[in-house]
Amino acid sequence: MTAVGLGPAASGFRQAQSPNPSVEPVETPMGELELVVAVRGGRSVAAHQYHRGALRILRPHYLDDSGQVCYVMVNPGGAYLGADLYVIDVEVGDGAKLLLTTQSATKIYRTPGSFAEQRMTLRLGEGAQLELAPDQLIAYREASYRQNTHITVRPTSSLVMAEVVTPGWSPDGASFRYEELRLRNEINVETPAGTTMLALDNLLIRPPLNDVTGMGFMEGFSHLGSLVVVDARVDQALADEFHALTAGHDAYTGVSLTACVGGTTGLVLRSLSNSTEELNRLLGTCTALLRERWYGQSPLNLRKY
Amino acid sequence: MPNTRTDAVAVAGGYQLALQQLTDSALPTGAFAHSLGFETYIERGLVHDEASFGVWLSAFIEQQLTYSDGLAIRFLYDGVPVAELDALLTAQLLPRQLREASTKMGTRLLEIGSEVFPSGQLAEYRSLVTTGRAAGHQPLAFAVVARSLGVPRTEAIAAYLFAAVTSLTQNAVRAIPLGQNAGQRLLRKASDDVAAAVGRVGRLTPDDFGAVSPGLEISQMRHERQRARMFMS
Repeated sequence: MTAVGLGPAASGFRQAQSPNPSVEPVETPMGELELVVAVRGGRSVAAHQYHRGALRILRPHYLDDSGQVCYVMVNPGGAYLGADLYVIDVEVGDGAKLLLTTQSATKIYRTPGSFAEQRMTLRLGEGAQLELAPDQLIAYREASYRQNTHITVRPTSSLVMAEVVTPGWSPDGASFRYEELRLRNEINVETPAGTTMLALDNLLIRPPLNDVTGMGFMEGFSHLGSLVVVDARVDQALADEFHALTAGHDAYTGVSLTACVGGTTGLVLRSLSNSTEELNRLLGTCTALLRERWYGQSPLNLRKY
Repeated sequence: MPNTRTDAVAVAGGYQLALQQLTDSALPTGAFAHSLGFETYIERGLVHDEASFGVWLSAFIEQQLTYSDGLAIRFLYDGVPVAELDALLTAQLLPRQLREASTKMGTRLLEIGSEVFPSGQLAEYRSLVTTGRAAGHQPLAFAVVARSLGVPRTEAIAAYLFAAVTSLTQNAVRAIPLGQNAGQRLLRKASDDVAAAVGRVGRLTPDDFGAVSPGLEISQMRHERQRARMFMS
């Protein structure tokens, strides 16, 4: 399996800087998943598939006639526990289209003295399309979780990823009772001239250390939604359009663009709100616009089983 | 006085006066034109007086200046190549105006530094920027100059953070507006936050880089679409 870290572009930095090797679990992963999607006869299909331990994928679905294949990741154990390591490696081949989602919310239970970790590597080929739409993340009381997602795209790839982080769950109903959440997304663009980092989206919430609810952090809101789009068609007009779309939602939202790398650009939308449903509606409205405009697909409607 | 000559030599050979020049708010980098997001809070009515600006300033020191600027300076001192850190900052500063503020002020600092504190490392970074291989970020330009002057790491981080805080406070004094004495009280209070931030920067890891709070980032992004504004960021 490919190790997930700062990636080839910054490997020297990683090696020179990693001051605490003990934070890198060396044990066998609790769950492993590999998936390679390629085009066969006009449809996207799995060219390679492997799973081990507490990670599985359901049989593929085709939600419409676009050729996009939908895979649903399942954690049969239902939750991540302390010292659990989950490794996911997905490749979307040239011209292939994948919608990757989860069966239910990602739940992190108590991880005393340790943390649960998910390392995900995603590679997109020329003209490949990946829509990553996991359910929301819920960290229980005394949970620590690290999610490291390392993405490599080509300038002609199309990436849409949406994510919602909830304030967690505790028996007394209080919010932000978990220990720590780290969600780090690194997106690199691979061109003939080399690999350049396009976006580093790093979230660290550590409620025991300081008040994360107030001004300058969660701004009085409880839920965080995030949408990242990387595509050569991303431009300021699209960012403005998304901004206009957010106006009708009960959420505090910002939209901005990354620098342009190799002809492709990233759009980052961040939103604070008080409910998962409101954020899902907002992110769904934005992704529906892209699905319709870029791929002639109808809005995503995932009925979970 | 037998010691006068030695004192003069010590001052002339040290970095103290150079560091004061480098962190003086009169250094023409254009810092007066940037709120780095607090103008959005003013527009929303959330920052309106000394106390409320103090809350924002604490969050900014604890988040932005710790996990982005301060950590970038530390990594440069630790020997990470400037080109690598420059690319990392460009990728991490997701709000466009913040990224542009960093490279605008950074480019100016590279120009000024080349004239008054020239060094091999500075010339190297500047040439990466002029040939389009780096963007030229403010904390890195500062760190390259400070290191070439022999400023120790911790002192460099503290000086940079406090200079940023001073510029922002002066801008708040004009924008809110606040009295001059209120500005000085804010700075005195902020120095405790800066000291704590310097301590934290020393303990963070590469995985921590860029972990800026969503609230600050959203406000920096929303500034792009604010109608009436005094500041470029």
